[in-house]
Amino acid sequence: MIQAGKYLGSLLIIFLLSAGKSAAQEFVELPLPNSNQIVVKYMFRVGSIHDFAGKPGLNYLTAQVIAEGGTKRFSSSTLKDFIYPYAAEIGVTADKEVTTFTFRFPVDFAPQMFQVMSDLMHAPLFDESDFNRVRSNISNYLEESLRSANDEEFAKKYLETSLYQSSNFEHIPEGTISSLANMGLENIQSHFEKYYTASGLVIGIAGKYRPSFLDSLKKDAGKFPQKSPPSTSPGKPLFFNGGRLTVITRKDVPGAAISIGAVLPVTRKDDDFAALMVANSWFGEHRKSYSHLYQKIRSQRSMNYGDYSYIEYYHQGGSNMLPTPGFPRSNNYFSIWLRPVQTAKSLKSQYPEFDSLQTGHAHFAIRMALKEHLALVKNGLSKEDFELTRQFLRSYLKLYAQTPEKQLGFLLDSRFYGRKDYLKEMDSLLEKLTLEEVNAAIKKYLDINVWTIVIVTDESEGEMLAKSIVENKPSPMVYPEVLRSVLPGEILSEDKQTENFPFFIKFSKVIPHTDPFK
Amino acid sequence: MQMLFYRWVWLTSFCLVCFSAKSQQENPVPQNILPYPIHSTVLKNGLQVVCIPYDSPGLVSFQIIMRVGSRDETESGKTGFAHFFEHMMFRGTKKYSKEAYDKVLKSVGASANANTWLDRTVYHMTGNAAMLETMFELESDRFMNLAYSEQDFKTEAGAVKGEYTKNFSSPFRRLDEKMNEVAFTKHTYSHTTMGYFKDIVDMPKQFDYSLKFFDRFYRPEYATLLVVGDAKPEEVTKLAEKYFGNWEHGKFSSKIPMEPEQEKIRFAHVAMEGVPPVLMFNYKTPSFNDKPEDVIALDVLMAVLFSEKSNIHKKLVITEQKARSLSSEVLFTRDPYVLSIEAVLKNKDQMFDVEYEIRKAIEKAAEDGVENNLLQEVKKRIRYSFSMGMNSPDAIANSMAYFIWVSADPQALNKAYALYEKVTLADLKRVAQTYLKPSKLTLSTVSPDSKSPFEK
Repeated sequence: MIQAGKYLGSLLIIFLLSAGKSAAQEFVELPLPNSNQIVVKYMFRVGSIHDFAGKPGLNYLTAQVIAEGGTKRFSSSTLKDFIYPYAAEIGVTADKEVTTFTFRFPVDFAPQMFQVMSDLMHAPLFDESDFNRVRSNISNYLEESLRSANDEEFAKKYLETSLYQSSNFEHIPEGTISSLANMGLENIQSHFEKYYTASGLVIGIAGKYRPSFLDSLKKDAGKFPQKSPPSTSPGKPLFFNGGRLTVITRKDVPGAAISIGAVLPVTRKDDDFAALMVANSWFGEHRKSYSHLYQKIRSQRSMNYGDYSYIEYYHQGGSNMLPTPGFPRSNNYFSIWLRPVQTAKSLKSQYPEFDSLQTGHAHFAIRMALKEHLALVKNGLSKEDFELTRQFLRSYLKLYAQTPEKQLGFLLDSRFYGRKDYLKEMDSLLEKLTLEEVNAAIKKYLDINVWTIVIVTDESEGEMLAKSIVENKPSPMVYPEVLRSVLPGEILSEDKQTENFPFFIKFSKVIPHTDPFK
Repeated sequence: MQMLFYRWVWLTSFCLVCFSAKSQQENPVPQNILPYPIHSTVLKNGLQVVCIPYDSPGLVSFQIIMRVGSRDETESGKTGFAHFFEHMMFRGTKKYSKEAYDKVLKSVGASANANTWLDRTVYHMTGNAAMLETMFELESDRFMNLAYSEQDFKTEAGAVKGEYTKNFSSPFRRLDEKMNEVAFTKHTYSHTTMGYFKDIVDMPKQFDYSLKFFDRFYRPEYATLLVVGDAKPEEVTKLAEKYFGNWEHGKFSSKIPMEPEQEKIRFAHVAMEGVPPVLMFNYKTPSFNDKPEDVIALDVLMAVLFSEKSNIHKKLVITEQKARSLSSEVLFTRDPYVLSIEAVLKNKDQMFDVEYEIRKAIEKAAEDGVENNLLQEVKKRIRYSFSMGMNSPDAIANSMAYFIWVSADPQALNKAYALYEKVTLADLKRVAQTYLKPSKLTLSTVSPDSKSPFEK
């Protein structure tokens, strides 16, 4: 249902927009009469691509200050007090192109929560003290959590930065430490006024809500400024004529965290996405032991905790077993995530036979992943693998949206891609899909030979590892004797074939962990 | 295959499983916090079967809750073994090799995994309700007939090492490891579920012990089958009898060393640079099974004192901004454990100020008690939070599982809710005086200092 309107007193006035630009908001309704709660989402068409020059992180900070701040009626502290007994939740996700506020509350708190939502969305407090607190926490996240205490997420975030170098997709939504330090309250106020408008706004509601509540919500939505913000298109990635490697080093890292990627010109808006879902699920479905990469690297070789691949951004894969809505994007990438493999320093500390080792398992693990990727492109899927994987996905997709919040979230994502219900539509596409279409999509989109690779590892092996990779040196897989003695000949023989597998890096650098996002 | 440290608000009262006779019961009492009837049965072999029908067309959550965890790792050099064994449960049987198991599981289209913690190991799959019988068949086969090669065993050990390795960069994981080691001197809670790294490195050599472990613990008396979602209780009981009815009852029972009474304050410290300083108060708490009322009162007290609603939270986090976050956690365990009050600090120089504020809030609660309106608001929040959270088969199954692994009682969730409702101001004062004493405290810290800034 689409509504364009403006609330003035008690009158709903439908009006035409000036200058021929659409500034209408869209409503997504999901009534769930058996539910005991209501979920409301506001998805604004604003993200980090709208951060203006020199202010990366501006939108993320703005969104967080709104979600964690107060209103003209309530300070942040009294607002928390007000909603506390009802366990009502206010949250936000701020990504590259959209920012989504989510309100979840019990049915019998609906009238009070309506006022909170309205105040927070139309007239947030923007208090100096809230601003300082939130800004400090984001900065600290970059400085002391991401860069020092979460190597896997660090590698993934840096991969995105590398893939979209020199475009407005380059910086991560959280921004940089120095940029945050230079932001003032006036910056976020002005950003809010400019971008948090009715233009492109999608409002969703799910749960057991009364018609009068929905009416009020719609009327209230008319209060958003009916103006279109300055136009900003998502920047396109640059073309690189050679592979790129970044090795990030830190003290005391027992495992090298690895992320590998390449841009992908397909998103959920394209029907070919369904074919790629099948290919990717077979190759590296997130947290699934039956995916090919996982079997090769973890199950057969004991190298790490897991190995997965993705055909779009996957939010916080370290903690989420299933995808999270709220991160739709126009730009996409294919990636491979290898969970930490042992560094030389760690192996030496465990087994005397590794005394002379200079680098750990990282180089071999990357070779194995890229060799298997090449085999996928060359051979495609078998009929049996295709049928089984498609069958799996048709059930598995239903698990994406188990709660009202998730259901609504995926419906909102669907609107971004010009779809009505992405999950249902993908199921229909999967039903009709053929093996030939999947294998054709693999050849068309996944035939990648220029990779971007990011490794976070111990400082003792960073330089040697980069040299080994850039010079394509052999990287024989080394197993402790206790394991090697029981491994079958075919594994060891396949290792031999893999240790020289070539992939080419043209641009490389080794940087300390304090360099990125500074 | 993921190890989770659940930090939930819910707990349960203790009730032994009776397995001498088959029984069937249902409790549709409308006042229960869980608004769905809980159907439970105990088979002749001691296996408990619980089913909660829930309106989720075509979707079902199936869990097997094993009441074995790192608490049962009593032998030297075997820390982390319960968790490692959880990994081995995915390595196949004679009927279904690992590859065949994976293939069938994939055809079910389920989200399936497992996790281990102090008191339990939980195997879970959520998927197509029409495939429930296939799920039962797959699971019964591996729980009764697990068979893996020495090669598979040694290979899987590397994945456990990989899991430890990925966790290593988190200061919170490292602090947990240190705190447990200091707070417990005899009890097996002295090591985390992950185990010590030296024991993990040694795991490939423990093939024979793994067979013993399976024989001891993977028995029906340790297990509960839980089905939530689009399923009928009578159908679930039939499937349980068909596929698990022949599972043989075992003979083993762990002898867990008792932890002596703590007599003075202890200090646990992790020296780490470049990460936010952390201050954690860890007070000894009673076993839930011994004193459910006290554990629940402590849980409510922690929310009153340290939630976003509390004065100290407003002071330290919102106004003075000395702490980036302040939170508390009471875990419900089979033996006495510790509660945590955790502050992530802005600056290590404020460690003493924050410690003073937290200590002062605790002392005041013990001396003067707390305000009634706060108590009522916390109770109200617990009620709303729980009922809103019960919005998917997975969420219901996870909450039920928590109560079952602590108490083995399927009705414990509803009983616990009733206990929360009964908590009084006098209860809060009493538990503050009884448990939140310096002699029961381990003060845990992360900072760049070489030793705890509080240790003289």
